[in-house]
Amino acid sequence: MLIALVILYVVTLVYFAITERFRNYATLVGLQGWILMGIALMRLHGGSLAELLFVVVETLVFKAVIVPAMLFRIIRRTGINRVSRGAVSVFDSLLLSVAALGVSIGVTYYIADTTVNMVFFGVALYALISGLLLVINRRRIFSHLVGFLVIENGVFLFAMAIGAEMPFLINIAILLDILISVLMLGMFLSKIGAVMHDLDADRLTTLKD
Amino acid sequence: MILGYIITALLLATFTAVAPDRRMARCPAALFYAVQAAFFIGTVTYHAGETVAQFFTFDGLGLLFFGLMTVIAPAAFYAGNRYLDRETLRQYKLYNISMMLLCVSIAGVYFANHLAVTWIFLEATTLCTAGLVYHRRSTRSLEATWKYIFVCSTGIAIAYLGILLLSTVAEGGDLSYATLRETVASGNPLFVKLAFLFIVVGYSCKLEIFPLYTIGIDANYAAPAPASALISTALVNAGFVAVLRVYRVVEASPVFAWACHVLVAAGVLSLLVGALYLRRTNHYKRLLAYSTVENMGLATLMLGLGSGAAWAAVLHAAGHALLKSGLFIQTAQVGKAYGSYRINRLGDYMRVNRAGAVALLLGVLGLTAFPPSVLFISELALFRELFGQHIWWLAIVVVLLVCVVMYSLWGRLARLCYKPGGHPADRAAISPAATWVGFVLILLALAAGVCLPQSVFELLTAITAG
Repeated sequence: MLIALVILYVVTLVYFAITERFRNYATLVGLQGWILMGIALMRLHGGSLAELLFVVVETLVFKAVIVPAMLFRIIRRTGINRVSRGAVSVFDSLLLSVAALGVSIGVTYYIADTTVNMVFFGVALYALISGLLLVINRRRIFSHLVGFLVIENGVFLFAMAIGAEMPFLINIAILLDILISVLMLGMFLSKIGAVMHDLDADRLTTLKD
Repeated sequence: MILGYIITALLLATFTAVAPDRRMARCPAALFYAVQAAFFIGTVTYHAGETVAQFFTFDGLGLLFFGLMTVIAPAAFYAGNRYLDRETLRQYKLYNISMMLLCVSIAGVYFANHLAVTWIFLEATTLCTAGLVYHRRSTRSLEATWKYIFVCSTGIAIAYLGILLLSTVAEGGDLSYATLRETVASGNPLFVKLAFLFIVVGYSCKLEIFPLYTIGIDANYAAPAPASALISTALVNAGFVAVLRVYRVVEASPVFAWACHVLVAAGVLSLLVGALYLRRTNHYKRLLAYSTVENMGLATLMLGLGSGAAWAAVLHAAGHALLKSGLFIQTAQVGKAYGSYRINRLGDYMRVNRAGAVALLLGVLGLTAFPPSVLFISELALFRELFGQHIWWLAIVVVLLVCVVMYSLWGRLARLCYKPGGHPADRAAISPAATWVGFVLILLALAAGVCLPQSVFELLTAITAG
């Protein structure tokens, strides 16, 4: 079951590379939240019940409910539904994503170590690279925001790979969640959308020498 | 004791938030800096070296930088009150609350004896600094805030990856620096290497060195100049302390030489970026921010050269904090007088504000490491170490880049002080008291270069040697 969830997580990452609709982005972020909740439930079963409940509830509330809801709200408020000027085509983006998967597998085999769950490590690395590709390949600020959320989910998965025995580390990963959910999305929702109507990252270039 | 300090700060921030007017908002803020000074004196006198609340230790490194912040923060507060005379009550309160909470977060970083606690407080500094950067609520400040939060969050996430990798060497999940130092030698060297790399890259957004230095520049540009006096010094030092503590951990591992190479590369690249952009920029606040990149690059380079110059890195960071805070406070006066920070529009400042112009000249003298600046001692130690280790090519590169920095800083400062004409100035906007507050900080850095007691050298050696 755990492996099935991990495979599903990889599929969501591949889908991020080929989709151009912002609604799909928001749906995929929500789906990743549910998958991570399932993974947390299975990985952390050895710890105390209170810690398990905290991690699972936080993952559910922030990653699976609040963050996707805020993303949908941003889409409704701004009226911008899709990536308009991608730096690379969908096909190239898919190729890059597959290459990222290959690199992740290669790196994982190279640094194989008994202290780390290598399946989680490899997928977490793939998530990190996928998030970076989203930030680099897309121009709209919304895509950058989603790219960061993908990176952040990768970090959470990475914490599962290494820190399953250390709930303290998982808890501080949750702090990062809260920072992002409340501050970045909140700011996007209340300020940037109102000032920059096309939400293009090219508009964010007034600060320069 | 530290919990009392944090709780007091939160209470005073709450009082500031509900204050009905500026005077009532100013009182709790002023009281906070008095409490901070009392906390510092009490800690140095009665609790030096003690561990409190499990996660905080009042060691020499923390106390040195906290002491500096205790001097710089009230100066920035005073100058800020004179600077923010046209702000609405809401903006004024947001500024003061952000400054107070930033001080508390930075203090948490200085005293944390635990890898994860350091990370948490550094994350908190992002929130507080965002409040200062967004202070003006203009499109540019919104852009700067968005970039600051985005890049800082990315940096913090990268640093978290490093913490996760370093946790593989932790015994029983204990991430305190002391335990990690004992167990790091038995860890997977590749994991320790990656952990150090990720942590340095992640914290570079706070330390304002290559690669994530850019947001520090934009933050200093968008924040009020007196706030930059804190962001570009105490916050940068928080990043420095965080990296130095991990450096001390890695020192005990077989990959220490590799870690030093990483620091040397980051230091030289920061110096290069600082030198190049100092030539290019046309804005006095950005000029000072790039100078921070250059100076923290030098401090990182000193760390990278190993224990021989590591004490000089701490001295450089401390001296730079005094000089840069004084310079930002002076620059705030320039901004008030001319209504602009554009280098090509300003001039004749010596006639407009003689004390301020002399302070700027002395500050840049100190910043470019001319005697009697305290930075002269640290940079002398850097070159002695470079020559001692026979790294001639690096010494030549550093000398060339430092020359470019000197030329850029002196050229622009001469233009500001002596160029005839310039933009019409409003002399009435200049606060002589704030000018002298900044002047005193600069004089302190110069005086430290002349009469630095032996006990300070011993403290610096103890900090970097264990």
